[in-house]
Amino acid sequence: MRRPRGLLICGKRMGTFLGWSIRRPSNLTKLVLVVCASVALMVADSHNDQGTRVIRDTALRASYPLQELAALPFAVGREALKSLRTNTRLRHDNVRLKAENRRLAVEASQAGALRAEVTHMAALLHGAPVPGYRVSLARALDVSSGPFSQRLTLDEGARDHVFLGQAVIDAHGIVGQVVSVGPHTSQVMLITDPDSGIPVVSERNGLRAIAFGTGMQDRLKVPYLTVTANIRPGDILASSGLGGIYPPGYPVARVVEVTSNPNLAFLKIRAVPLAHLSYHTHVLLLWPRNAPKNQGLGHG
Amino acid sequence: MDNPLTLKQRALIFASFAAAMILAIVPLPESIQLLRPDWAALVLVYWCMALPERIGVGSGWVLGLFLDVLYGSLLGEQALAKAALAYLTLRFTLRLRMFPRWQQSLAVGTLVALSDLMLIMIKSLVRGHPPLWSDTAPMIANVILWPFLFGILREVRRRAKIS
Repeated sequence: MRRPRGLLICGKRMGTFLGWSIRRPSNLTKLVLVVCASVALMVADSHNDQGTRVIRDTALRASYPLQELAALPFAVGREALKSLRTNTRLRHDNVRLKAENRRLAVEASQAGALRAEVTHMAALLHGAPVPGYRVSLARALDVSSGPFSQRLTLDEGARDHVFLGQAVIDAHGIVGQVVSVGPHTSQVMLITDPDSGIPVVSERNGLRAIAFGTGMQDRLKVPYLTVTANIRPGDILASSGLGGIYPPGYPVARVVEVTSNPNLAFLKIRAVPLAHLSYHTHVLLLWPRNAPKNQGLGHG
Repeated sequence: MDNPLTLKQRALIFASFAAAMILAIVPLPESIQLLRPDWAALVLVYWCMALPERIGVGSGWVLGLFLDVLYGSLLGEQALAKAALAYLTLRFTLRLRMFPRWQQSLAVGTLVALSDLMLIMIKSLVRGHPPLWSDTAPMIANVILWPFLFGILREVRRRAKIS
């Protein structure tokens, strides 16, 4: 035992405090002081006091290296584990990507075959999609849709043999007719243009009528049908070919509303165009098989 | 004091406390967490026994304050417990030194358990944590660890000629 003196004489030992010679406080005194301090700290801390926060922050900053050291082995372990995992994942990826590469190579050769087929089909399309007509795709450059004009500007013009009064269709129905031709562009009046009229027949019973544009892209009107006319919602109106502008038998509109007013001689009929006027960017231009005759534009 | 410690010796003591604090906050899996001994308390008890005139209530309090910050517990609860532990150890130092090793470890375990009890009471008073049986697991771990820790720290102290 190194220090037989022990603590029992603690109370009698002397120390200095601010230059005064004083008795060193006994352990009990220290304990009492420290307990008071602890309780004060706890009370202050439980009320979220600013001072205790300062103490806490300072001590935390002082003990930061300890925390770092405590976290170090785990950080190292995690890094090692991560690199292992990355390695495994890379190997897996490699296998997977190789398999995918083989699959894609097969698909690429298939795509080649498909492309050839598409070219073939396109040739066929240029041959004869609409009987008696030659067609060509044109791209819409600009759309103007307002209550007084519903027009489409196409990227084909006189250089591409576009002529006035030429019919324009899409996959679902008739779009309109060409009303002005520039060297490289042309303007198409949509069937919903207020100036447009298109002769139609009802597919159900062959009733003849004329569908006029209204200036609204989803609406046509069919005036001049008497109240006795056999027409009802759901009827499909196809072009009749009268007037020679539009190809006959191509769908134009579907009747959605038939209103009969006893005070008027005619029915009020509302129809929606079947062509996707507000969707497409590509339309088909039609050339009659016989030489294009320059017909004036009009209501057909 | 008659033979002031050299800087190196002070650093060694400080390092032992720092190591205890690191061991106290090293993240462990939930299952082993329960059996984590109170390293800081055991090291404090050792130095209080070995150097009762240097390490005492004040050192315990400061150690506890750091532990409070590291644990994120209420500032002062660990400080209070560790100061009380230091006081108790100082009271019984002479007897503790005389005990055979197994009895010593039981006695030290009891002292640490007393300070732990104080902590549990403070927690249940202030924060409403109910006392749990699992709180006794570290106390048992303390008793088991003490003889080994005592051997190691005594070896360190002798090699560094701290007395």
